[in-house]
Amino acid sequence: MPIKTWELDPNFRNEIMNEPGGEHLTACFQCSTCTLGCPITEIVPSYNPRKIIQMSLLGMRNEVLSNPDLWICAICQTCTARCPQDVVVGDVLAVIRRIAEKEEEAGNIKIDSPRPLFEKAFLHTVEKYGRLYDIGLAMEYYPKREGSFIKGQKAMMKDYMGFGMRMFFKGKMGPLGGGSPLKGMLPSKIKKKEVMKKIFEKVEGK
Amino acid sequence: MSEKKLAYYPGCPSETTAKEQDISTKAVFDKLGVDWAELEDWNCCGAAEAEDPRLVYALNARNLAIAEKDNRDIVTPCSICYYNLARTDKALRADEKLRAEIKEIDASLDYNGTVTPKHVIDFLVNDIGMDELKSKIVKKVEVKVAPYYGCYIGRPPETAFDDPDDPVSMDRLIELIGGENVQFSYMKTKCCGGPLMMTRADIAFEMARKILESAKNAGADCIALACPLCGMMLDAKQPDIEKALDIKFEMPIVYITQLLGLALGIEPNKLGLNKNVVDTKEIVGKVV
Repeated sequence: MPIKTWELDPNFRNEIMNEPGGEHLTACFQCSTCTLGCPITEIVPSYNPRKIIQMSLLGMRNEVLSNPDLWICAICQTCTARCPQDVVVGDVLAVIRRIAEKEEEAGNIKIDSPRPLFEKAFLHTVEKYGRLYDIGLAMEYYPKREGSFIKGQKAMMKDYMGFGMRMFFKGKMGPLGGGSPLKGMLPSKIKKKEVMKKIFEKVEGK
Repeated sequence: MSEKKLAYYPGCPSETTAKEQDISTKAVFDKLGVDWAELEDWNCCGAAEAEDPRLVYALNARNLAIAEKDNRDIVTPCSICYYNLARTDKALRADEKLRAEIKEIDASLDYNGTVTPKHVIDFLVNDIGMDELKSKIVKKVEVKVAPYYGCYIGRPPETAFDDPDDPVSMDRLIELIGGENVQFSYMKTKCCGGPLMMTRADIAFEMARKILESAKNAGADCIALACPLCGMMLDAKQPDIEKALDIKFEMPIVYITQLLGLALGIEPNKLGLNKNVVDTKEIVGKVV
């Protein structure tokens, strides 16, 4: 479909470049090195970080922000390492994802991926305890992803039943681990949890 | 070797899924006579899930500041923790304004840029040094190893301590202990898919499959690695990957500190070799 020039947002590039990590966007000269080396493109051939950057430079804000491919980047930084123009491609994509999340929170777009829910669930445990709490993460993420508590439990069981048993029998989680019988089952907490609260309030309040 | 004492930053998986990495790292430190102490009241680095650099800087400034107060350098066995610590250290050293902003959140985040964060591999190979390690080796570990480095050892360039495409630090350790590195260079730094495991398991499994299959085809007895997320993906999820893709790998996955520990004469159980999901008895059997 042809690009509708009157729908382009010429300010989108500045929006990206004003965020930490997005500063070098305009250095891109479309060589495609990022995409050729990408391990995701190898598996999903339509995945194309070069194209996402070009669309951003053109100002195709809506198309970029609602592109589900944003959420299958594995943050492996191969693109960043290979970019001859030091665009820091991995960080640019992270900036675009953050803008997309804000737009979704404002009700302007819909993100077709559970990844924001996953990242939030992960960070909620860090905010609360100061450390990652796997079970807390899963208990928040799966019900939200599936839309109900029951469906969430089912999906979690399907993905993690075998894994959980392995962790149990190897003494990594649960009573066989020695020490506390609920090791790994209960969250590990830091003493200065109030500092975590301050950090998240400050960063998210911005 | 740095004269500073070490703050050991284990990272969150050390308490659960990557217990064997934690156990073996500490056992190796003790055997080598490293003066270490666990970083007091450490917090999560934000892993790959904290996408906002400001959040990463704040979380890691606290850990760096704790080590700074004790006049210690930080060593971590986790590649993602290393990346987050190292980029925070760099950013805060370079930008006074940023440092002031972070400090404003809480006085405990006041970091003055005097700590060097290191990955365990970097510390062993470059700080302890190959000669010193060689002098402590008492056993030969005659295994064929696929050395798998993953993402944050050779890239991104700002924090890397080895080559982005063909890193060698782990290869050198494997040679040192009497092992053989199989032909694996094209897979060494390919991502394991870990960050997509909870949201796109199909892609993540395919990424892990390539690594496991390449190691198997190259004739490796095991894959050696240095990141707990890679460990979770390649070891703990290996039976799930086998089931989903209807393939059998039965490929033992060991942390490099576990292999090194064997060569230093440490008992397998004291290296947590009973905690790896895929059985490691065959690997242990090759220690002479």
